[in-house]
Amino acid sequence: MFPKLDPILHSELRLAVISLLAGVESADFTYIKQQTGATAGNLSVQLDKLSAAGYITVEKGFKGKMPRTTCTLTPAGLEAFRKYIDALKEYISH
Amino acid sequence: MTASESLALITETMNNNSKEIIRRGGKYFILWGILLTCFSLLVYALWKSTGHAYWNNLWFAMPLVGYPLARMIRSKEEPAMATNAVSRIVSGIWTSFGVFACSVAAFSVLYSFLGNSPLGKIAVGAGLTASIVLLFGLAETISGVALKNWAIKIAGFVTGIGSLAIYYITGANEEQMFIFTLAGIVLAATGFIVKRQNK
Repeated sequence: MFPKLDPILHSELRLAVISLLAGVESADFTYIKQQTGATAGNLSVQLDKLSAAGYITVEKGFKGKMPRTTCTLTPAGLEAFRKYIDALKEYISH
Repeated sequence: MTASESLALITETMNNNSKEIIRRGGKYFILWGILLTCFSLLVYALWKSTGHAYWNNLWFAMPLVGYPLARMIRSKEEPAMATNAVSRIVSGIWTSFGVFACSVAAFSVLYSFLGNSPLGKIAVGAGLTASIVLLFGLAETISGVALKNWAIKIAGFVTGIGSLAIYYITGANEEQMFIFTLAGIVLAATGFIVKRQNK
């Protein structure tokens, strides 16, 4: 019996965002957009879904006069990511 | 997505992210390398033409020029920033280097004012050039360890140990400025290598 893949993570853009955030302490919205190649609208929707699942925190603020959105992976997000990778390894090894 | 495609996506995203952060660090190596080269040649030229070692005090102007330029580079990146433990450690290493290098230079100035007083004797023992090149080599080598980059590690050893050897061979005169010129060239070259490796 294969383990179930987390549907929140099993989406190309959301998985890319979590993979990126797993390697940093925090990242700005623009950085994530540049690195994933996503459109601002789509990325914003996917970040909301990840945030609603408790996998990331999204902080909106200002740096000087410029608006700034910073995303950080939560411990729950890291744990879900770890389980997702373990599940993928199970799929591949069978 | 299949399981293989998911794993490939994870691997690619993580690798690209790591490369991007290291590539950005390369800009600061280039900036400080160029500044170090320019200042060393300027101090050498003024020292040689006037015969006065006090032109060494010009080194204090380097951070005054460098930090605003570094801030300018950073402000251009600011809308799209990401930090990880490695970038934070490398930034800490070079900030510490700046503080230690300025302290060593301050001792030298102190000596020039205090002459033969006990404090002056402590200061002359500091050996300005030798101390700074060692600190510089150490900072670069540790950066290489943090960034897992052999080019930076080797450059750090060459700069620190090599420059120290040159210092003791040539002695304390204006020609010792070429040690900083070498260190600056090595640092800037390392920055270019890091940027190319992580394109």
